[in-house]
Amino acid sequence: MQPLANVTPLKPAARAGAIEVKNVGQVFKTRSQDVVALEDVSLEVKPGRFVVLVGPSGCGKSTLLMMMAGLRQQTSGTITISGAPIPQPDPDRVGVVFQEASLFPWLTAEDNVEFPLALRGVPRAERRAKAQDALKLVGLDGFGGRHPHELSGGMKQRVSIARGLVQDPPVLLMDEPFAALDEQTRMTMGDELLRIWAATGKTVVFVTHSLTEAVYLADEVIVMSARPGRIVDHLQVQLPRPRTYEMLSGDAFGALRDRIWRHIRKSA
Amino acid sequence: MQSTFVINLARIAIIIAVLALWEVLSRTGIVNPRLLPSASDTFVTLGDLLQRAAVQKDLMVTATEVLAAFALAVPFGAVIGFLVAENRYFADVAKPLLFFAFSIPKSIFLPMFILVFGVGFAQKVGFGFFSTIFIVIMSTTTAVESVKVEHLTVARSYGATPWQTAFRVYLPSMLPVLLEALRISMIFNLTGVILAEMYASRDGIGHQIATWGENFQMKQLLAGVVMVAAIAMTFNELVRWVETRCSHWRM
Repeated sequence: MQPLANVTPLKPAARAGAIEVKNVGQVFKTRSQDVVALEDVSLEVKPGRFVVLVGPSGCGKSTLLMMMAGLRQQTSGTITISGAPIPQPDPDRVGVVFQEASLFPWLTAEDNVEFPLALRGVPRAERRAKAQDALKLVGLDGFGGRHPHELSGGMKQRVSIARGLVQDPPVLLMDEPFAALDEQTRMTMGDELLRIWAATGKTVVFVTHSLTEAVYLADEVIVMSARPGRIVDHLQVQLPRPRTYEMLSGDAFGALRDRIWRHIRKSA
Repeated sequence: MQSTFVINLARIAIIIAVLALWEVLSRTGIVNPRLLPSASDTFVTLGDLLQRAAVQKDLMVTATEVLAAFALAVPFGAVIGFLVAENRYFADVAKPLLFFAFSIPKSIFLPMFILVFGVGFAQKVGFGFFSTIFIVIMSTTTAVESVKVEHLTVARSYGATPWQTAFRVYLPSMLPVLLEALRISMIFNLTGVILAEMYASRDGIGHQIATWGENFQMKQLLAGVVMVAAIAMTFNELVRWVETRCSHWRM
Protein backbone atom coordinates (compact mmCIF):
# COMPACT_ATOMS: atom_id res chain seq x y z
CA MET A 1 0.00 0.00 0.00
CA GLN A 2 1.44 3.34 -1.03
CA PRO A 3 -0.36 6.05 0.88
CA LEU A 4 0.49 8.78 -1.58
CA ALA A 5 -0.26 6.82 -4.76
CA ASN A 6 -3.70 8.34 -5.27
CA VAL A 7 -2.88 11.91 -4.41
CA THR A 8 -1.75 13.00 -7.87
CA PRO A 9 -4.78 14.59 -9.53
CA LEU A 10 -5.82 12.58 -12.56
CA LYS A 11 -8.18 15.17 -14.00
CA PRO A 12 -7.94 18.31 -16.02
CA ALA A 13 -8.59 21.09 -13.52
CA ALA A 14 -11.38 22.64 -15.61
CA ARG A 15 -13.57 19.56 -15.27
CA ALA A 16 -12.98 19.02 -11.57
CA GLY A 17 -16.32 18.33 -9.93
CA ALA A 18 -18.21 17.57 -13.16
CA ILE A 19 -20.34 14.42 -13.20
CA GLU A 20 -21.48 12.65 -16.34
CA VAL A 21 -23.83 9.69 -16.36
CA LYS A 22 -24.43 8.18 -19.80
CA ASN A 23 -27.00 5.48 -20.63
CA VAL A 24 -26.48 3.75 -17.30
CA GLY A 25 -28.35 0.55 -16.55
CA GLN A 26 -28.28 -1.76 -13.57
CA VAL A 27 -29.70 -5.27 -13.51
CA PHE A 28 -29.81 -7.38 -10.34
CA LYS A 29 -29.81 -11.08 -11.03
CA THR A 30 -31.82 -13.11 -8.56
CA ARG A 31 -32.52 -16.82 -8.73
CA SER A 32 -35.97 -16.47 -10.26
CA GLN A 33 -35.61 -13.35 -12.42
CA ASP A 34 -33.56 -10.35 -13.43
CA VAL A 35 -34.65 -7.12 -11.76
CA VAL A 36 -34.00 -3.95 -13.71
CA ALA A 37 -33.05 -1.37 -11.08
CA LEU A 38 -31.97 1.36 -13.46
CA GLU A 39 -32.68 1.74 -17.16
CA ASP A 40 -30.98 4.11 -19.55
CA VAL A 41 -30.21 6.85 -17.04
CA SER A 42 -28.31 9.87 -18.38
CA LEU A 43 -27.58 13.13 -16.64
CA GLU A 44 -24.93 15.78 -16.41
CA VAL A 45 -23.97 17.80 -13.37
CA LYS A 46 -21.86 20.91 -13.85
CA PRO A 47 -19.17 21.73 -11.28
CA GLY A 48 -20.45 23.49 -8.18
CA ARG A 49 -24.12 22.66 -8.75
CA PHE A 50 -26.45 21.34 -6.06
CA VAL A 51 -28.47 18.50 -7.58
CA VAL A 52 -31.12 16.52 -5.75
CA LEU A 53 -32.36 13.04 -6.73
CA VAL A 54 -35.93 12.27 -5.64
CA GLY A 55 -38.26 9.40 -6.34
CA PRO A 56 -40.29 6.67 -4.69
CA SER A 57 -38.64 3.82 -2.80
CA GLY A 58 -37.02 1.37 -5.18
CA CYS A 59 -36.44 3.91 -7.97
CA GLY A 60 -32.72 3.29 -7.75
CA LYS A 61 -31.68 6.78 -6.63
CA SER A 62 -29.43 5.44 -3.87
CA THR A 63 -28.07 2.80 -6.25
CA LEU A 64 -27.19 5.55 -8.71
CA LEU A 65 -25.46 7.51 -5.96
CA MET A 66 -23.47 4.43 -4.89
CA MET A 67 -22.33 4.00 -8.49
CA MET A 68 -21.15 7.62 -8.60
CA ALA A 69 -19.19 6.86 -5.41
CA GLY A 70 -17.54 3.85 -7.04
CA LEU A 71 -19.10 1.57 -4.43
CA ARG A 72 -21.06 -0.34 -7.03
CA GLN A 73 -20.64 -0.97 -10.75
CA GLN A 74 -23.29 -0.40 -13.38
CA THR A 75 -24.30 -3.20 -15.74
CA SER A 76 -24.13 -0.92 -18.74
CA GLY A 77 -23.29 2.68 -19.63
CA THR A 78 -20.57 4.97 -18.28
CA ILE A 79 -20.12 7.29 -15.32
CA THR A 80 -17.33 9.83 -15.12
CA ILE A 81 -16.40 12.06 -12.17
CA SER A 82 -14.08 14.98 -12.95
CA GLY A 83 -13.62 13.51 -16.40
CA ALA A 84 -12.55 9.98 -15.45
CA PRO A 85 -14.48 6.75 -14.78
CA ILE A 86 -14.82 5.62 -11.19
CA PRO A 87 -14.34 1.84 -11.04
CA GLN A 88 -13.68 1.97 -7.29
CA PRO A 89 -14.05 4.52 -4.48
CA ASP A 90 -11.66 7.45 -4.87
CA PRO A 91 -11.71 9.76 -1.84
CA ASP A 92 -9.70 12.37 -3.72
CA ARG A 93 -12.55 12.92 -6.11
CA VAL A 94 -15.61 11.98 -4.09
CA GLY A 95 -16.65 12.36 -0.45
CA VAL A 96 -19.69 10.40 0.70
CA VAL A 97 -22.08 11.30 3.52
CA PHE A 98 -24.31 8.47 4.70
CA GLN A 99 -27.26 8.17 7.03
CA GLU A 100 -26.99 8.74 10.74
CA ALA A 101 -25.64 5.36 11.86
CA SER A 102 -22.48 5.68 9.79
CA LEU A 103 -20.15 7.25 12.37
CA PHE A 104 -17.88 4.85 14.23
CA PRO A 105 -19.22 4.89 17.80
CA TRP A 106 -15.87 3.90 19.31
CA LEU A 107 -14.10 6.96 17.89
CA THR A 108 -14.46 10.58 18.98
CA ALA A 109 -15.91 13.12 16.55
CA GLU A 110 -12.37 14.23 15.74
CA ASP A 111 -11.11 10.71 15.11
CA ASN A 112 -14.14 10.00 12.94
CA VAL A 113 -13.31 13.03 10.79
CA GLU A 114 -9.66 11.98 10.65
CA PHE A 115 -10.53 8.42 9.64
CA PRO A 116 -10.18 8.94 5.85
CA LEU A 117 -6.81 10.65 6.41
CA ALA A 118 -5.62 7.97 8.84
CA LEU A 119 -6.29 5.33 6.17
CA ARG A 120 -3.76 7.01 3.89
CA GLY A 121 -1.13 7.51 6.54
CA VAL A 122 -1.35 11.31 6.77
CA PRO A 123 0.86 12.42 9.70
CA ARG A 124 -0.93 12.95 12.98
CA ALA A 125 -0.43 16.73 13.29
CA GLU A 126 -1.61 17.40 9.75
CA ARG A 127 -4.59 15.11 10.30
CA ARG A 128 -5.58 16.89 13.48
CA ALA A 129 -5.29 20.30 11.85
CA LYS A 130 -7.43 19.30 8.88
CA ALA A 131 -10.04 17.70 11.13
CA GLN A 132 -10.19 20.86 13.24
CA ASP A 133 -10.77 22.95 10.12
CA ALA A 134 -13.51 20.63 8.91
CA LEU A 135 -15.22 20.60 12.29
CA LYS A 136 -15.06 24.39 12.43
CA LEU A 137 -16.58 24.58 8.97
CA VAL A 138 -19.59 22.51 10.03
CA GLY A 139 -20.02 24.50 13.24
CA LEU A 140 -18.69 21.93 15.69
CA ASP A 141 -15.67 23.79 16.99
CA GLY A 142 -14.90 22.45 20.46
CA PHE A 143 -16.92 19.23 20.13
CA GLY A 144 -14.10 17.14 18.66
CA GLY A 145 -13.48 15.16 21.83
CA ARG A 146 -17.01 13.84 22.15
CA HIS A 147 -18.17 10.39 21.13
CA PRO A 148 -21.16 10.00 18.81
CA HIS A 149 -23.44 8.89 21.64
CA GLU A 150 -22.77 12.22 23.32
CA LEU A 151 -23.94 14.17 20.25
CA SER A 152 -27.44 14.94 18.99
CA GLY A 153 -28.68 13.58 15.65
CA GLY A 154 -27.99 16.88 13.90
CA MET A 155 -24.49 17.13 15.34
CA LYS A 156 -23.71 13.57 14.26
CA GLN A 157 -24.62 14.49 10.70
CA ARG A 158 -22.42 17.57 10.91
CA VAL A 159 -19.56 15.23 11.85
CA SER A 160 -20.44 13.03 8.86
CA ILE A 161 -20.32 16.05 6.57
CA ALA A 162 -16.98 17.10 8.05
CA ARG A 163 -15.67 13.58 7.39
CA GLY A 164 -16.88 13.84 3.78
CA LEU A 165 -15.13 17.18 3.31
CA VAL A 166 -11.89 16.56 5.17
CA GLN A 167 -9.95 15.50 2.06
CA ASP A 168 -11.41 18.39 0.10
CA PRO A 169 -12.84 16.39 -2.82
CA PRO A 170 -14.63 18.42 -5.49
CA VAL A 171 -17.76 16.23 -5.24
CA LEU A 172 -19.90 15.47 -2.19
CA LEU A 173 -22.45 12.66 -2.49
CA MET A 174 -25.14 12.56 0.19
CA ASP A 175 -27.42 9.56 0.70
CA GLU A 176 -30.50 10.70 2.62
CA PRO A 177 -28.30 12.29 5.25
CA PHE A 178 -31.13 13.93 7.19
CA ALA A 179 -33.72 11.16 6.92
CA ALA A 180 -33.46 10.16 10.58
CA LEU A 181 -33.72 13.72 11.93
CA ASP A 182 -36.81 15.43 13.30
CA GLU A 183 -38.46 18.13 11.20
CA GLN A 184 -36.92 21.15 12.95
CA THR A 185 -33.40 19.78 13.01
CA ARG A 186 -33.83 18.81 9.39
CA MET A 187 -34.69 22.38 8.38
CA THR A 188 -31.74 23.76 10.33
CA MET A 189 -29.40 21.19 8.81
CA GLY A 190 -30.66 22.10 5.34
CA ASP A 191 -29.69 25.73 5.94
CA GLU A 192 -26.36 24.65 7.38
CA LEU A 193 -25.64 22.46 4.40
CA LEU A 194 -26.39 25.32 2.01
CA ARG A 195 -24.06 27.56 3.99
CA ILE A 196 -21.27 24.95 3.83
CA TRP A 197 -21.91 24.38 0.15
CA ALA A 198 -21.72 28.11 -0.58
CA ALA A 199 -18.49 28.35 1.41
CA THR A 200 -16.78 25.41 -0.30
CA GLY A 201 -18.18 25.45 -3.84
CA LYS A 202 -18.51 21.66 -3.99
CA THR A 203 -20.63 19.78 -6.48
CA VAL A 204 -23.33 18.16 -4.36
CA VAL A 205 -25.59 15.26 -5.32
CA PHE A 206 -28.18 14.73 -2.62
CA VAL A 207 -30.68 11.88 -2.38
CA THR A 208 -33.91 12.40 -0.45
CA HIS A 209 -37.50 11.26 -0.02
CA SER A 210 -38.68 14.71 0.95
CA LEU A 211 -40.07 16.88 -1.85
CA THR A 212 -39.86 20.02 0.26
CA GLU A 213 -36.24 19.34 1.10
CA ALA A 214 -35.52 18.67 -2.58
CA VAL A 215 -36.91 21.98 -3.83
CA TYR A 216 -35.54 23.96 -0.90
CA LEU A 217 -31.95 22.81 -1.38
CA ALA A 218 -31.55 22.26 -5.10
CA ASP A 219 -30.38 24.08 -8.19
CA GLU A 220 -31.77 21.13 -10.10
CA VAL A 221 -34.11 18.33 -9.10
CA ILE A 222 -33.99 15.01 -10.92
CA VAL A 223 -37.18 12.99 -10.51
CA MET A 224 -37.00 9.23 -10.89
CA SER A 225 -39.67 6.55 -11.27
CA ALA A 226 -39.59 3.03 -9.90
CA ARG A 227 -39.37 -0.38 -11.59
CA PRO A 228 -37.47 0.19 -13.70
CA GLY A 229 -35.63 3.24 -12.32
CA ARG A 230 -35.74 5.99 -14.94
CA ILE A 231 -35.43 9.74 -15.01
CA VAL A 232 -38.90 11.16 -15.63
CA ASP A 233 -38.22 14.86 -15.09
CA HIS A 234 -35.34 17.27 -14.65
CA LEU A 235 -36.35 20.59 -13.04
CA GLN A 236 -34.36 23.79 -12.77
CA VAL A 237 -35.13 25.51 -9.47
CA GLN A 238 -34.89 29.22 -10.22
CA LEU A 239 -35.58 30.42 -6.67
CA PRO A 240 -33.04 33.01 -5.52
CA ARG A 241 -30.35 32.24 -2.98
CA PRO A 242 -29.98 32.34 -0.09
CA ARG A 243 -33.14 30.31 0.32
CA THR A 244 -35.41 31.36 3.16
CA TYR A 245 -38.15 29.76 5.18
CA GLU A 246 -40.70 32.19 3.68
CA MET A 247 -40.13 30.74 0.20
CA LEU A 248 -41.68 27.47 1.33
CA SER A 249 -45.16 29.01 1.24
CA GLY A 250 -44.63 30.87 -2.06
CA ASP A 251 -46.36 29.95 -5.34
CA ALA A 252 -43.16 29.19 -7.22
CA PHE A 253 -42.11 26.74 -4.54
CA GLY A 254 -45.54 25.11 -4.47
CA ALA A 255 -45.64 24.75 -8.24
CA LEU A 256 -42.30 22.93 -8.32
CA ARG A 257 -43.27 20.64 -5.47
CA ASP A 258 -46.61 19.81 -7.12
CA ARG A 259 -44.91 18.99 -10.39
CA ILE A 260 -42.60 16.51 -8.63
CA TRP A 261 -45.47 15.03 -6.65
CA ARG A 262 -47.51 14.35 -9.81
CA HIS A 263 -44.65 12.30 -11.24
CA ILE A 264 -44.17 10.35 -8.05
CA ARG A 265 -47.86 9.63 -7.55
CA LYS A 266 -48.04 8.25 -11.07
CA SER A 267 -45.17 5.85 -10.56
CA ALA A 268 -45.84 4.78 -6.96
CA MET B 1 -21.95 8.86 42.80
CA GLN B 2 -23.94 8.63 45.99
CA SER B 3 -25.98 5.75 44.65
CA THR B 4 -23.00 3.64 43.47
CA PHE B 5 -21.48 4.11 46.92
CA VAL B 6 -24.69 2.95 48.59
CA ILE B 7 -24.96 0.01 46.22
CA ASN B 8 -21.39 -1.08 46.99
CA LEU B 9 -22.10 -0.76 50.68
CA ALA B 10 -25.17 -2.97 50.32
CA ARG B 11 -23.11 -5.56 48.45
CA ILE B 12 -20.44 -5.67 51.13
CA ALA B 13 -23.17 -5.92 53.77
CA ILE B 14 -24.66 -8.96 52.02
CA ILE B 15 -21.27 -10.70 51.84
CA ILE B 16 -20.63 -10.02 55.53
CA ALA B 17 -24.13 -11.24 56.41
CA VAL B 18 -23.62 -14.52 54.54
CA LEU B 19 -20.25 -15.10 56.22
CA ALA B 20 -21.73 -14.23 59.62
CA LEU B 21 -24.67 -16.57 59.10
CA TRP B 22 -22.25 -19.32 58.10
CA GLU B 23 -20.17 -18.69 61.24
CA VAL B 24 -23.21 -18.60 63.55
CA LEU B 25 -24.89 -21.70 62.10
CA SER B 26 -21.70 -23.69 62.61
CA ARG B 27 -20.67 -22.29 66.03
CA THR B 28 -24.11 -22.70 67.64
CA GLY B 29 -24.45 -26.21 66.31
CA ILE B 30 -27.67 -25.48 64.41
CA VAL B 31 -25.85 -27.17 61.55
CA ASN B 32 -23.50 -29.96 62.56
CA PRO B 33 -19.99 -28.35 62.50
CA ARG B 34 -18.58 -31.62 61.17
CA LEU B 35 -20.71 -31.06 58.07
CA LEU B 36 -20.25 -27.31 57.97
CA PRO B 37 -17.03 -26.10 59.59
CA SER B 38 -17.21 -22.42 60.53
CA ALA B 39 -16.16 -19.68 58.14
CA SER B 40 -13.21 -18.67 60.30
CA ASP B 41 -11.92 -22.28 60.47
CA THR B 42 -12.34 -22.61 56.72
CA PHE B 43 -10.29 -19.48 56.02
CA VAL B 44 -7.56 -20.55 58.44
CA THR B 45 -7.42 -23.92 56.63
CA LEU B 46 -7.30 -22.10 53.31
CA GLY B 47 -4.25 -20.18 54.52
CA ASP B 48 -2.57 -23.43 55.55
CA LEU B 49 -3.37 -25.17 52.30
CA LEU B 50 -2.00 -22.38 50.16
CA GLN B 51 1.36 -22.80 51.84
CA ARG B 52 1.56 -26.51 51.18
CA ALA B 53 3.79 -27.48 48.27
CA ALA B 54 1.41 -30.26 47.20
CA VAL B 55 -1.53 -27.86 46.89
CA GLN B 56 0.58 -25.29 45.06
CA LYS B 57 1.61 -28.01 42.62
CA ASP B 58 -2.04 -29.01 42.11
CA LEU B 59 -2.97 -25.41 41.42
CA MET B 60 -0.16 -25.12 38.88
CA VAL B 61 -1.26 -28.34 37.16
CA THR B 62 -4.82 -27.08 36.89
CA ALA B 63 -3.74 -23.63 35.74
CA THR B 64 -1.57 -25.17 33.00
CA GLU B 65 -4.42 -27.38 31.81
CA VAL B 66 -6.92 -24.53 31.86
CA LEU B 67 -4.62 -22.20 29.95
CA ALA B 68 -3.70 -24.89 27.41
CA ALA B 69 -7.35 -25.73 26.77
CA PHE B 70 -8.20 -22.05 26.55
CA ALA B 71 -5.31 -21.25 24.22
CA LEU B 72 -6.46 -24.02 21.88
CA ALA B 73 -10.22 -23.48 22.06
CA VAL B 74 -10.29 -19.70 21.60
CA PRO B 75 -8.38 -19.36 18.30
CA PHE B 76 -9.90 -22.54 16.86
CA GLY B 77 -13.39 -21.51 17.85
CA ALA B 78 -12.83 -17.95 16.67
CA VAL B 79 -11.71 -19.06 13.21
CA ILE B 80 -14.64 -21.44 12.82
CA GLY B 81 -17.05 -18.81 14.15
CA PHE B 82 -15.65 -16.27 11.71
CA LEU B 83 -16.04 -18.63 8.75
CA VAL B 84 -19.59 -19.46 9.80
CA ALA B 85 -20.51 -15.79 10.09
CA GLU B 86 -18.84 -14.65 6.87
CA ASN B 87 -19.95 -17.47 4.60
CA ARG B 88 -23.67 -17.57 3.94
CA TYR B 89 -23.72 -21.17 2.74
CA PHE B 90 -21.53 -22.38 5.58
CA ALA B 91 -23.75 -20.53 8.06
CA ASP B 92 -26.95 -22.05 6.69
CA VAL B 93 -25.50 -25.53 6.94
CA ALA B 94 -23.62 -25.30 10.19
CA LYS B 95 -25.65 -23.05 12.46
CA PRO B 96 -28.44 -25.42 13.54
CA LEU B 97 -25.91 -28.22 13.95
CA LEU B 98 -23.83 -26.05 16.26
CA PHE B 99 -26.92 -25.25 18.28
CA PHE B 100 -27.66 -28.97 18.61
CA ALA B 101 -24.11 -29.65 19.74
CA PHE B 102 -24.18 -26.75 22.16
CA SER B 103 -27.36 -28.00 23.83
CA ILE B 104 -25.85 -31.38 24.79
CA PRO B 105 -24.38 -31.51 28.32
CA LYS B 106 -20.69 -31.99 27.64
CA SER B 107 -20.15 -34.08 30.81
CA ILE B 108 -21.67 -37.19 29.24
CA PHE B 109 -18.72 -37.36 26.86
CA LEU B 110 -16.17 -37.45 29.65
CA PRO B 111 -15.89 -41.28 29.77
CA MET B 112 -15.07 -41.28 26.07
CA PHE B 113 -12.28 -38.77 26.60
CA ILE B 114 -10.81 -41.06 29.23
CA LEU B 115 -11.01 -44.04 26.86
CA VAL B 116 -9.39 -42.12 24.03
CA PHE B 117 -6.73 -40.12 25.88
CA GLY B 118 -6.25 -42.19 29.05
CA VAL B 119 -6.07 -40.44 32.41
CA GLY B 120 -3.79 -37.41 32.32
CA PHE B 121 -2.97 -34.04 30.82
CA ALA B 122 -4.36 -34.72 27.33
CA GLN B 123 -7.69 -35.99 28.63
CA LYS B 124 -8.23 -32.96 30.82
CA VAL B 125 -7.12 -30.41 28.23
CA GLY B 126 -9.12 -32.22 25.57
CA PHE B 127 -12.24 -32.15 27.65
CA GLY B 128 -11.68 -28.49 28.60
CA PHE B 129 -11.28 -27.69 24.90
CA PHE B 130 -14.44 -29.60 24.04
CA SER B 131 -16.41 -27.85 26.80
CA THR B 132 -15.34 -24.44 25.55
CA ILE B 133 -15.20 -24.48 21.79
CA PHE B 134 -18.93 -24.37 21.07
CA ILE B 135 -19.51 -21.24 23.11
CA VAL B 136 -16.48 -19.63 21.43
CA ILE B 137 -17.83 -20.45 17.98
CA MET B 138 -21.27 -19.10 18.78
CA SER B 139 -19.98 -15.93 20.44
CA THR B 140 -17.62 -15.19 17.57
CA THR B 141 -20.49 -15.57 15.13
CA THR B 142 -22.48 -13.07 17.17
CA ALA B 143 -19.49 -10.73 17.32
CA VAL B 144 -19.00 -10.79 13.54
CA GLU B 145 -22.70 -10.21 13.00
CA SER B 146 -22.53 -7.20 15.30
CA VAL B 147 -20.35 -5.41 12.71
CA LYS B 148 -22.57 -2.94 10.89
CA VAL B 149 -22.78 -3.00 7.10
CA GLU B 150 -22.91 0.83 7.15
CA HIS B 151 -19.51 0.96 8.83
CA LEU B 152 -18.01 -1.40 6.27
CA THR B 153 -19.43 0.73 3.47
CA VAL B 154 -17.91 3.87 5.00
CA ALA B 155 -14.51 2.19 5.20
CA ARG B 156 -14.80 1.05 1.60
CA SER B 157 -15.87 4.47 0.36
CA TYR B 158 -12.72 5.98 1.88
CA GLY B 159 -10.54 3.37 0.23
CA ALA B 160 -9.71 1.12 3.22
CA THR B 161 -7.57 -1.93 2.43
CA PRO B 162 -8.74 -5.32 3.77
CA TRP B 163 -6.21 -5.06 6.61
CA GLN B 164 -7.38 -1.59 7.52
CA THR B 165 -10.97 -2.78 7.48
CA ALA B 166 -10.05 -5.68 9.74
CA PHE B 167 -8.18 -3.59 12.30
CA ARG B 168 -10.11 -0.34 12.14
CA VAL B 169 -13.67 -1.62 11.69
CA TYR B 170 -14.05 -5.33 12.46
CA LEU B 171 -11.84 -5.43 15.54
CA PRO B 172 -13.19 -2.39 17.41
CA SER B 173 -16.79 -3.33 16.51
CA MET B 174 -16.31 -6.86 17.78
CA LEU B 175 -14.13 -6.16 20.79
CA PRO B 176 -16.86 -5.72 23.44
CA VAL B 177 -18.67 -8.88 22.33
CA LEU B 178 -15.38 -10.78 22.05
CA LEU B 179 -14.27 -9.87 25.55
CA GLU B 180 -17.61 -10.93 26.93
CA ALA B 181 -17.23 -14.17 24.98
CA LEU B 182 -13.76 -14.69 26.42
CA ARG B 183 -15.11 -14.29 29.93
CA ILE B 184 -17.98 -16.71 29.44
CA SER B 185 -15.72 -19.19 27.63
CA MET B 186 -13.40 -19.23 30.60
CA ILE B 187 -16.29 -20.24 32.88
CA PHE B 188 -17.05 -23.19 30.60
CA ASN B 189 -13.38 -24.02 30.28
CA LEU B 190 -12.74 -24.04 34.03
CA THR B 191 -15.83 -26.14 34.61
CA GLY B 192 -14.69 -28.64 32.00
CA VAL B 193 -11.14 -29.03 33.29
CA ILE B 194 -12.13 -29.30 36.95
CA LEU B 195 -14.87 -31.78 36.17
CA ALA B 196 -12.36 -33.90 34.27
CA GLU B 197 -9.99 -33.73 37.24
CA MET B 198 -12.68 -34.72 39.72
CA TYR B 199 -13.86 -37.60 37.58
CA ALA B 200 -10.54 -39.25 36.87
CA SER B 201 -7.15 -37.71 37.52
CA ARG B 202 -4.01 -38.14 39.61
CA ASP B 203 -3.41 -34.46 40.23
CA GLY B 204 -4.92 -31.00 39.91
CA ILE B 205 -7.01 -29.01 42.31
CA GLY B 206 -10.25 -30.66 41.11
CA HIS B 207 -8.78 -34.07 41.97
CA GLN B 208 -7.68 -32.75 45.37
CA ILE B 209 -11.15 -31.36 46.13
CA ALA B 210 -12.77 -34.67 45.15
CA THR B 211 -10.35 -36.55 47.42
CA TRP B 212 -11.05 -34.26 50.39
CA GLY B 213 -14.75 -34.85 49.83
CA GLU B 214 -14.37 -38.63 49.73
CA ASN B 215 -12.32 -38.57 52.96
CA PHE B 216 -14.88 -36.36 54.66
CA GLN B 217 -12.28 -33.58 55.23
CA MET B 218 -14.88 -30.83 55.27
CA LYS B 219 -12.55 -27.97 56.23
CA GLN B 220 -10.20 -28.70 53.36
CA LEU B 221 -13.11 -29.30 51.00
CA LEU B 222 -14.69 -25.95 51.80
CA ALA B 223 -11.33 -24.19 51.65
CA GLY B 224 -10.79 -25.73 48.19
CA VAL B 225 -14.19 -24.49 47.06
CA VAL B 226 -13.40 -20.97 48.27
CA MET B 227 -10.01 -21.13 46.53
CA VAL B 228 -11.37 -22.10 43.12
CA ALA B 229 -14.27 -19.66 43.45
CA ALA B 230 -11.88 -16.81 44.23
CA ILE B 231 -9.64 -17.62 41.25
CA ALA B 232 -12.60 -17.82 38.87
CA MET B 233 -14.08 -14.57 40.14
CA THR B 234 -10.77 -12.76 39.87
CA PHE B 235 -10.34 -13.72 36.22
CA ASN B 236 -13.94 -12.81 35.49
CA GLU B 237 -13.65 -9.40 37.10
CA LEU B 238 -10.37 -8.71 35.35
CA VAL B 239 -11.87 -9.27 31.91
CA ARG B 240 -14.99 -7.36 32.89
CA TRP B 241 -12.83 -4.41 33.85
CA VAL B 242 -11.16 -4.43 30.41
CA GLU B 243 -14.59 -4.89 28.87
CA THR B 244 -16.07 -1.75 30.40
CA ARG B 245 -12.98 0.23 29.40
CA CYS B 246 -13.28 -0.94 25.80
CA SER B 247 -17.02 -0.57 25.41
CA HIS B 248 -17.83 2.77 26.99
CA TRP B 249 -19.24 3.79 23.60
CA ARG B 250 -21.86 1.03 23.62
CA MET B 251 -24.73 2.96 25.06
